[in-house]
Amino acid sequence: MKHDLNGASIHIATGGLDFAEQHSAHNGKVLAFLHGSGQCHLTWIQQSRFFAHRGFAVLAPDFPGHGLSGGTPLTSITAQTDWLIDLLDSLGVEEAILAGHSQGVLVALDAAARYPGRVQRLALIAGALAIPVNDMLVEMSKSAPTKAFGMMTSWGHGPPAHKFDNNMPGHSHLGYGRRVMALNDDAALHADLVACNAYVDGGDAAASVTQPALCLIAAHDKMTPAKFGKQMAASIKGAELQMFERAGHFLPSELPLEVNSAILTFLTR
Amino acid sequence: MSDDYKFDTLSLHAGQVPDAQHGSRAVPIHQTTSYVFRDTDHAAALYNMELGGHLYTRISNPTVAVLEARVAALDGGVAATATASGMAALSTAIMTICSSGDHIVASSRMYGANINLLENTLPRFGINTTFVAPDDLDAIENAIQPNTKIIFGEVIGNPGLDVMDVAAVAQIAAKAHVPLMLDCTFNTPWLLKPIALGANILIHSLTKWMGGHGIAIGGAVVDGGNFDWGKDDKFPTIAGPHYAMNSINFHEEFGPAAFTAKFRAEGMYNFGPSMAPTNAFHILQGLETLPLRMQRHMDNTAAMLEFLTNHDAVAWVKHPTLPSHPSHELVKRMLPKGAGSIIAFGLKGGRDAGKAFIEAVELASHLANVGDAKTLVIHPASTTHSHISAEAMIEGGLTDDMIRLSVGLEDIEDIKTDFKMGFRAAAKVTK
Repeated sequence: MKHDLNGASIHIATGGLDFAEQHSAHNGKVLAFLHGSGQCHLTWIQQSRFFAHRGFAVLAPDFPGHGLSGGTPLTSITAQTDWLIDLLDSLGVEEAILAGHSQGVLVALDAAARYPGRVQRLALIAGALAIPVNDMLVEMSKSAPTKAFGMMTSWGHGPPAHKFDNNMPGHSHLGYGRRVMALNDDAALHADLVACNAYVDGGDAAASVTQPALCLIAAHDKMTPAKFGKQMAASIKGAELQMFERAGHFLPSELPLEVNSAILTFLTR
Repeated sequence: MSDDYKFDTLSLHAGQVPDAQHGSRAVPIHQTTSYVFRDTDHAAALYNMELGGHLYTRISNPTVAVLEARVAALDGGVAATATASGMAALSTAIMTICSSGDHIVASSRMYGANINLLENTLPRFGINTTFVAPDDLDAIENAIQPNTKIIFGEVIGNPGLDVMDVAAVAQIAAKAHVPLMLDCTFNTPWLLKPIALGANILIHSLTKWMGGHGIAIGGAVVDGGNFDWGKDDKFPTIAGPHYAMNSINFHEEFGPAAFTAKFRAEGMYNFGPSMAPTNAFHILQGLETLPLRMQRHMDNTAAMLEFLTNHDAVAWVKHPTLPSHPSHELVKRMLPKGAGSIIAFGLKGGRDAGKAFIEAVELASHLANVGDAKTLVIHPASTTHSHISAEAMIEGGLTDDMIRLSVGLEDIEDIKTDFKMGFRAAAKVTK
C-alpha cells in the first residue's frame, strides 16, 4: 500500500491484504519486517504474504529512498528507528513485533531499547550487535554502486544459492538480488552502509532488551558471521538461537520455509 | 563461495544441488504430475503464492526447475520459465504482456512461425503488429505507438541471418518504455547475453543449440528483471490488481521478477504450455556441453564458410561474419565469438540445383531443424517459410534458391566431402 509519511510517499508490503482490516481483525498482532542495507520489501517476498495469511497484520515498509518508496535515504540507525516509530504512529499501531534482517536487526534492537513500549517481540535474522563495513565497500557504494550490488549479492549468498538452488522455481538468487538493489535511490546503499558503520550502541541496546527475542543465523554468512550472531543472542536475556547450515546472509530468501517455521513457532506458542 | 561461478561451470551445475536423501549426481527425472502437500496450510500457501514450491507439473516441476535455473544463470536473468516449445514460450510471453488492443513492433525478417503468429493469429485476438526491418533503427522508433507493448526481434534472424543491434534497439525501447523481447535461439548465451545490453525478455527454442542433440522439443523465457512495469499505467495486468489471489499486484509483490510471476501464475496456469520433465532432463544433458559444442560449431562454420566461398558451384554465401554481409561490422563488435552456425547459400543453377544437392548429400540430414550436433540442410522456401506470403519472403531476404545449412560437429573434412558429392549432383542437373 502507499502511505504518506513525513512528506514522502512510502510503499509498504502488507502481504496482499488490507492492513487496516488486518489490524482491526488481529489487534495487537502487527508484524513489521525491516529490510537490510540496500534492500527493500522484496527481502520478504516469502514472509509478507505467508504471515499476513496466518493471523498477522503485516507491514514490510520500504525505508525512504528504497524500493518503491520516495524520500531521501536516512543516514543513521537512530533516524531509521525514529522513522519506524513515526510510521507506527501514523498507522495507529501501538505495539508491533519487529522482524529485522541485517541492518534491520540494528533498527529493531535500537527500537526495543529506546521505545520498549512499542516493541512486543524481536525476530533478529542474520544480525549482529554491530555491522562494521570495510572502507573499500563504503567507497564503492558511492563511486560504483552497481559493482557494490554485485559484490554484496555474491558475498551474501551461501553455496546452494551460488548453484542456483531456489525454492522459487526458475529463480536466481544472484540475478534477482542485484536487480532488487538497483531499484533503490542511487544514494541508498551508501547511506545504509555509513549508518551501519556508525552504529555502536548495539551492545547496550541488546543488554536492555526485555522482550522475547529469537535470533536466526547462518553458517555461511560472510556479512554478519555466525560468531557475531551468537554473540548477539548471548547479549539478549533469554534470547533463543537457531543456526542454519545451508545458507548465507540472505536467510529469508535462501531458506524461507525454515525461517518462517522458526518465526511462526516463536510467535504462536 | 564469494565469487560467482563462471559460464562453463554454470552449464554443468546451475540449478542443482544433489538431494540430501539419495545424493543423485545427475539431475533426477521427477516424472510426476503432482506433489504431496505437507498439510492443508502448505497447500494453501503454495496456491496463494505465499511460498515458492511445486504444486502441479503444469505450473512447475523440480526437473524442469533445474533447467529453468540453469538457463537463467547462463543468460544472467532474474528467472526463467521453461515451456513445451520455443513457440509456446513466445506466444505465452506475448499473452503475459499484451491484451486486446495492444500493438507490437517486430522484425520483418524472422522465423516463419514467429511471423505467422504475429501477422495472422494474434490479430484475431486484437493484438496487431507493425513489421519493420531489424536494422532500420529509425523505422523501429517510428513504428512505436502509444499502445505498443513489445518490441520483438531475433538477435540473428532465421534464415536471413540479419543481426539486430541489441544495444541500439534497447535504447529506443527504453526511451519509449516498451520492453525489448528477443528470440535468442540462434545466439545462445554462449555467443551473446542480450540482457547485459539492455534487452528485457529473452525467448529460446531450447530444441536447437541449447539442447543440441535433436531429441527434445522445448523453449524458455528469460526475465531480465530490468524493466519497470510500474513506471506508468501501460501494463495494468502486471503492475495493477490482477483478478487472482485477492487482486495480487505482481509488480509490487515480486519486483524485478514480476513478469515471471505473472507468466507462471497466469500463463502456465491458464494456457498450460508446460515442458515434460523427461524433455527437461534431455535438454539438461545438452546444456552441460554447450560451451564445448558452440566452440566446435563456430570452428566448423568458419571452415565451411571458407570452403563454400571458394567453391565454383556456389553462387552466393551469406553469413554475418563475412565482409559482404551488411551486419559484418556490428558482428565484430557485438558477437566476437561468432555469429552462429547457420549459413545460407545458393548454388549456380538455382532451385533445381539446390534440390539435387539436398537429395544427393549423404552425411548432412535433410530436415526441419537447426542447431543439432549433426549437420542439417533444408530449402526454406518450400518448407519452413512456405506458409508466409511472397511479399514477406522478399522482405525477409528469402530467395527461391536459398539452402539453409546448420553446421554440425562432424569432422570438417567429412562434411566437405559430402558437400562435394552434392555439388557434383547439382552440376548434372544444370548442364
